[in-house]
Amino acid sequence: MAQATPPQEQLPTPPASEPREAVQPASPADPEPKQPPANAYSVPEGSPSIDERLSADEHRVEALEEQNTETKNDLSALKKLRFSGYVQARYLYQEPQDEVTGAGGFSRFTIRRSRLKATYTGDLAQFMLQIDASPTGVALRDAESTLFIPGTKQQLSLTLGQMKWPFGYEGPQSSSDREFPERSRVVRNMLPSERDRGAKVNGRYKFLRVSAGVFDGAGTDSGTTQDNDKEKDIIGRVGFDLKWIAGGVSGWYGQDLGKLPTDTFRRAYDRSRLGADLQAYFDVVPLGGTSLKGEFIAGRTYGAANNATHLDVPAHGWYLLLVQNIGLNDAVAVRYDTFDPHNGQANTANGETPGADNAVDTLGVVVQHHFGENLKVSATYELPMTQVVAQASDPKDNLFTLQMQARF
Amino acid sequence: MKKTLRSSLVALGLTLLPLAAQAGTVTVKGSDTMVILAQRWAEAFMKKNPSMKIQVTGGGSGTGLAALQNGTTDIAMSSREMKEAEEEKLRARYNTPPTQFSVAKDGVTFYVNEANKLDALTVEQLKDIYLGDTTSWKAVGGADAPIVLYSRENSSGTYVFVKDTVLGGDDFASAAQTLPGTAAVVNAVSKEKNGIGYGGAAYAKGIKELKVKKGNEAFAPTAENVKSGKYPLSRDLFFYLRNKPSGDVKAFIDFALSAEGQAIVTQVGYFPVK
Repeated sequence: MAQATPPQEQLPTPPASEPREAVQPASPADPEPKQPPANAYSVPEGSPSIDERLSADEHRVEALEEQNTETKNDLSALKKLRFSGYVQARYLYQEPQDEVTGAGGFSRFTIRRSRLKATYTGDLAQFMLQIDASPTGVALRDAESTLFIPGTKQQLSLTLGQMKWPFGYEGPQSSSDREFPERSRVVRNMLPSERDRGAKVNGRYKFLRVSAGVFDGAGTDSGTTQDNDKEKDIIGRVGFDLKWIAGGVSGWYGQDLGKLPTDTFRRAYDRSRLGADLQAYFDVVPLGGTSLKGEFIAGRTYGAANNATHLDVPAHGWYLLLVQNIGLNDAVAVRYDTFDPHNGQANTANGETPGADNAVDTLGVVVQHHFGENLKVSATYELPMTQVVAQASDPKDNLFTLQMQARF
Repeated sequence: MKKTLRSSLVALGLTLLPLAAQAGTVTVKGSDTMVILAQRWAEAFMKKNPSMKIQVTGGGSGTGLAALQNGTTDIAMSSREMKEAEEEKLRARYNTPPTQFSVAKDGVTFYVNEANKLDALTVEQLKDIYLGDTTSWKAVGGADAPIVLYSRENSSGTYVFVKDTVLGGDDFASAAQTLPGTAAVVNAVSKEKNGIGYGGAAYAKGIKELKVKKGNEAFAPTAENVKSGKYPLSRDLFFYLRNKPSGDVKAFIDFALSAEGQAIVTQVGYFPVK
């Protein structure tokens, strides 16, 4: 195969009046020095020879290699520190409600989440801090201090700090990974804020997953930064992961101090949850992967503010989610969820307005598209269907959400 | 209604266009250890299928697996098994568990300079050397000279394999110099008479390969020892996909696993899986 001739380097040409000197000196043994070929390099007197220049360049390359190695060594230490984050910016439109109920719909832009997370993972320890900056301020979401138990190859760890409750699937799942803008109604009620201060043990062994811990119990949305009682809540999940199917059962038992209208003084009421979740993944549709996920949660004593807006009230709910990927960048998902805020209590009505504790079913559909690895756009339409009796009617509260999520 | 239908069809067309435009091209990215092997497979495969184009690039196993997740490669080459966290991310993004193919076997080889009089070390001795507990060749029966350590970047599957298998999950000594590829490690060890490095057998030209002692015997990273499992530092080399293979990707993987493809494995210096 013919080899291409490399382009010849242009050397400075001496003035025509100066004598030219060939690069290769004539051997003293030669009686008649040969004339250099017409196309030979010519260099000005005193310039370094090609060998000298090559040698100098080699040294320069070696020096650069050494610098590169040094830089890489410095960077490899920094690789243990990872920054990540995401912003969920939204446009929301809720259909206008009718004159009877009074409240109108809305059309607004909002920043739902803007997270910044720093993680430093060493052999034995991990630091994790996540904050959320919103239009109302900056809040601490996670602050975890983790010890990896030596000899377990980071499969067993102990974490202290503020972290997500180890309960169920949708609660601990990152909001940046979820298809729908918000968690299902049952999870929002039973696991408000999804986080709490406490300590947990996390373990993996083959297909088994175990996570359990002791927490203050009120959650980070409780409005207080310190637990106001000595009762601690025990929360955990035992699960499995067989790649194409995964799931688990979760439990929660604790107590919450509160006062019902019939109580003279505050007393401890049970705060408990039981849950089961299952996720199945299929590769049967030529368009892309398919997943089917479901979760059921039943519990007593729940609510966002101080976790006790429904003191000693039993409730339950579930959801079913179907996701179909279309090619590499698109997906469609449908979710049906239902939540009964008060088990066994009949639905009520206040004139044409349904009771606050009536059960609500919600049907939602979302279409999403990934623009590369950093941007996801989703359009979601949700139809909440509040159960009604007598003259009450289902409020007009269908919601459209257009979300752009940028992450790194 | 017609307008809506037309708009939907245009949107669908725009979505599917990039997929159609890339038909006939398969991208393979990842492990530097596997680059030469994959290139040989690609050359042979494209010779048999002139309409097909296989693009092979390195960067390390971690880079390939990240590219698989980002959708920028069809096949990720990896000289280590996918981590659980990587698998879970892929599954969350594409709603299907990834598929793994073991396409060849390799013996991770420790190299020393040809001038080094040592021929074999135990895994425990290698561990002590790379943890920085042993710093002189004299301590392991060699010359009275300091040991110069060469290692790989942490995106390398070979790095992860040695860390897990030899070092028991502990961190490499800080004195270990990180080099960008197995070829660079081989080059460095060939120039440094007190050096030691590691990499795939396919690159081990011009330097001395250390045998690994197990009991009273020492085993070289030969085909027989790797296949029989006697050589303690053997590993599988993998192809990873986002889902089950189909079309051009399946044809290329079928070729790699065919008798012809496995013969190329042997030619390159690795060991066949069949």
